[in-house]
Amino acid sequence: MTPGEAATAAGGQDAALLDAQGVGKRFGAVVALSDGRLRVEAGEIHALLGANGCGKSTLCKVIAGTVAPDSGTIAVGGDVVQFRNPRDAEQAGIALFYQELSLIPQLSVAANIGLGREPRTGLGFVDRRRLNSEAEALIALFAGVAGAELKPEAIVADLTPDLRQIVEILKVLARRPRLIILDEATAALDGRQSARLFEILRARKAEGVSTLMISHRLDEVFAVSDRITVMRGGATVAQLVTAGTNRDQVVRHMVGDARIHPVTSQRMPPALAEPRLTAQGVRNARVHDVSLSLRPGEIVGLGGLQGQGQSALLQGLFGALPFTAGRVTIAGETVALTRTADAIRRGLAYVSGDRGRDAALTGRSIFENLVAALLVREKRRLVRPSELDPLATRHADSLNTQYAGLDAPIGTLSGGNQQKIFIARWLATGPRVLLLDDPTKGIDLAAKGDLLAIMRKLADEGASILIYSSEDAELIEWCDRVLVFNSGRIVTELAGPTLDHFHLARAAYGEAA
Amino acid sequence: MTLRSGLTNPLTLAAIAILALLAVGETLSPGFARGDQIVRLLTVAAILGIVAAGQNLVILGGREGIDLSVGPMISLGAVIAGNIMAGANAAILPAILAATAVTFLIGIVNGLGVTLVRIPPLVMTLGMTAIVQGGLVVYSQGIPSGNAAPALMAFINRPLVLGLPGILFVWAIIAVGLTFLLRRTAFGYAVYAIGANERAAMLVGLPVNRIRCLLYGLSGFFAGLTGVCVIGYTGNSFISVGDQYVLSSIIAVVIGGTSLAGGAGGYIGTVLGAVALVLLQSVLTTLQLENYGRQIIFGMTLLVLMLLYGRQGRLRV
Amino acid sequence: MSAVVRSRPWLLTLIALAVLVAVNTALQPSFVQPAVLQSNLTTFLPLTLVAIGQTYVVMGGDIDLSVGAIAALVNVVTVSAIAAVGGDGLTPIIAGLAAGLATAVVCGVINGVLVAVLRLQAIVTTFATGIVFAGTALFVLPQAGLPVPEAFWRSYGATLIGLPVVLWILLAGLAFALFLGRRPFVAHLTAVGGSRVGAFQTGLSLSRVRIGAFVLSALFAGFAALCLTGETASGDPLLGQSLALSSISAVVLGGTALSGGSGGPVGSILGALVLGMIGNVIFFAGLPFAWQTLVQGLIVLAALAGGVLVTRR
Repeated sequence: MTPGEAATAAGGQDAALLDAQGVGKRFGAVVALSDGRLRVEAGEIHALLGANGCGKSTLCKVIAGTVAPDSGTIAVGGDVVQFRNPRDAEQAGIALFYQELSLIPQLSVAANIGLGREPRTGLGFVDRRRLNSEAEALIALFAGVAGAELKPEAIVADLTPDLRQIVEILKVLARRPRLIILDEATAALDGRQSARLFEILRARKAEGVSTLMISHRLDEVFAVSDRITVMRGGATVAQLVTAGTNRDQVVRHMVGDARIHPVTSQRMPPALAEPRLTAQGVRNARVHDVSLSLRPGEIVGLGGLQGQGQSALLQGLFGALPFTAGRVTIAGETVALTRTADAIRRGLAYVSGDRGRDAALTGRSIFENLVAALLVREKRRLVRPSELDPLATRHADSLNTQYAGLDAPIGTLSGGNQQKIFIARWLATGPRVLLLDDPTKGIDLAAKGDLLAIMRKLADEGASILIYSSEDAELIEWCDRVLVFNSGRIVTELAGPTLDHFHLARAAYGEAA
Repeated sequence: MTLRSGLTNPLTLAAIAILALLAVGETLSPGFARGDQIVRLLTVAAILGIVAAGQNLVILGGREGIDLSVGPMISLGAVIAGNIMAGANAAILPAILAATAVTFLIGIVNGLGVTLVRIPPLVMTLGMTAIVQGGLVVYSQGIPSGNAAPALMAFINRPLVLGLPGILFVWAIIAVGLTFLLRRTAFGYAVYAIGANERAAMLVGLPVNRIRCLLYGLSGFFAGLTGVCVIGYTGNSFISVGDQYVLSSIIAVVIGGTSLAGGAGGYIGTVLGAVALVLLQSVLTTLQLENYGRQIIFGMTLLVLMLLYGRQGRLRV
Repeated sequence: MSAVVRSRPWLLTLIALAVLVAVNTALQPSFVQPAVLQSNLTTFLPLTLVAIGQTYVVMGGDIDLSVGAIAALVNVVTVSAIAAVGGDGLTPIIAGLAAGLATAVVCGVINGVLVAVLRLQAIVTTFATGIVFAGTALFVLPQAGLPVPEAFWRSYGATLIGLPVVLWILLAGLAFALFLGRRPFVAHLTAVGGSRVGAFQTGLSLSRVRIGAFVLSALFAGFAALCLTGETASGDPLLGQSLALSSISAVVLGGTALSGGSGGPVGSILGALVLGMIGNVIFFAGLPFAWQTLVQGLIVLAALAGGVLVTRR
């Protein structure tokens, strides 16, 4: 879209495809949205940006009928609408990609894509042949980047996370919406898969279909979007034309007055010391013959495409997915890590990016969530909250966590603040080796900055850190060296001058660095 | 606390229900709320409350935790205790030890089935019900012999201190002990953690399977202890004496505000739940209704209680 | 092999059934005689029907503990309606069947609305409604009695086109299960049981699907009650008390996970037959009577454990 067209749209002479005004929503005492405003024209790719907890996911769910707003109006094509459920929104031509996925694990890919709108035969039976051929046609959109396991008959539970995410995208596309809402749709995708998704969206745009995308990857946003809406603290603060703005401006809108962590330059390589942790020829279900060594004070990254064994290695070292072969030493001593408690008592800590599955003690208090690992590490028998409160508060505060009180349920916090509590859970154990498994998934820039600062501080104090991240930028900025994975093996090691986007991407795709 | 949240708080609600039931009972039949009557009702509630303690732990531990085998385990505990005591005071302690040890082990088997074989608890404890019932038939040849020792019967039926029978003190000790265990020990924190999110609990280093096994073992232990109380209350036993406690123990836990999904609740609520349930049954008996009337009112009351606070969250918020 | 078993866990149930039939025939050679087969089938049929209905509820991630009470209520309503209409011929029987099945539908709707619309936990709710239904059955008919017309039980025990009526009923149940399995309803039920949130976000009407499952469960409990009425030829307000738990065992034996989102009624039919055959085999194995319950319990638990192990990945 040219700036001239944008001006027309902003003039408001034509009815926008979607026009949301003054949308508000509170969950109990927490105001998730105070003044959500959003205007999406037909045939544009529109980015919705903001820090965690700014209300952008809630706004999308209101638009898609999953969340009931407390106030505000939503107009589609000029008509004010009130969606009672997702079905109403779908009938108005709006389909939402759910960040946490709306797939049914037990059903096949085709059944998931067609769920609720199955083609029928004359007898009212599900027309399985047509169901499968329709899925086949959609899968073809991702041909060449999606792996051969992605078939109409495949059971969704058997698919890798990136393929599941693709199925969720296909499910959205199958509904032929006028407005596609993608909430972090590229989070589990690798570079080629994301690129293909944007090709598809551009093609749809030419047909007049609009896309509203939420993404934490600014590269993507600037590469594909026409306009940008920025939210902060539950309200819309800026509506920008992508071509007329830049990253700095957008980030400033997103964070407001909050401090932005400067990107620190490469650290001094740590002094040569005895390795704190070594692994020799370790294997488990997804790791094949991996060896590495980690020195005190070192931050080592694990790179490569999604699901190449990085997470399985971290879980193996932590005793959660025990190795079937190989040798692990900690401080020179050979250890058999078959239980997480053993790993914790030897000073290991594991932070997962999949909070809901791996970390959240749902319904329990922030305090209980925070001290859970500490109790194990110290082999405590009795718990005196009065004794542990100061310690819990200190660790929660060290990450600038925002919370009402330690007794509040964990669910009252936004995703990013929950993740900070789960990181604090491990900081409280005084870890010597920190295993980070995509720890910044879905957390905002300020929180990432806080995490980086904490990592640096721990490393400077002598801790060793092994981090997997799905964002190359983090690995490049944060790590002393990066081990690149492919198919469960380390294919190359990058450090110093070769640790950049180009080498990382090339190594990830299997070419020698 | 707002009025609304106060009214939907299970503890408050159970307490209100107890007072209302006492008022209704007293209105219908003056003397219903007399001291000795209340002590008698509390004694019945204590027996239910002890088995519900185990049920409570299993449910708190989550993963659809439930123990349907407490019924035959109570019967087994009663039959074993009766056989060993055979009316002799000297044999009370061995009887208690033997009864609870056997049911504890049966509970551990439940736990192993649920954790290692990963059989759903409902199915595992249902299967165990049939086995223990069968075992009881073999052990007792259908007609249990043996009876309670006089001292045990006195402990449960006669005033000991302050006009209260000994079993009420035992119940109070269990209530305080269990609440301390849940709120102030690492084990209690672990129980809530595995109930809230088993994988997260594993990742913070908790021996999830061992804890869960122990919870089922404890449920067995409490069922065995209840069996001893039952034979002490009535003097002798029969092989299905425990059956009536299976569902009432679950309901006492639910009325007390413990979520069947696990990870939320506590034993004080269950104590109130057991008292409320026994009171309700007593009021219905006082009404001298036909059997069907009692059943219908009992079921409806449960549904109303569930409607008041047993509702699950909306999908659309 | 494992893929086949995973998608069709009931194949193993079928093998178990075949083994049990072989053992039973060895222990009791007369087992294969048509009259003996028919009498066995008559015994197994009520549980089999209840298990079909229970499967739908379990697939949707719920559970129905009230099926036994529903069966009792349908039984007493049917015999009371027949007695109330009175007279000879088909009219009273048809009135009785209609009243009984209508009662079942009402019970199913009550369960479904409480669980799916008012969002109560299925296990406690259906336990509570079960108490209410059982109480209502006692109200309708306080004592066992009220014989049904001869035409009712005679036709239940009769043969049709050379095959016993009980077999036709079983085949009809199977045909219904296969028919429904190809309709979108079962896919939606699987979705609702597999992921509530996912199904909601996809735009499915969760409450309609779940109420539908409870109505099916109640309706099949009603069919079972009519079969029991045909077998006993009278009313009994305490009938069917073991149906709830046995039907759940049958469902699990048939490869449907209690967590919902998988399985199907064909397996449950086989599971119910396996349960019945286990009882048979133990009876004919000549064990001392006192040991029979214990051994049956052990075998059923072992079978359940085996079923769980096989359907698990």
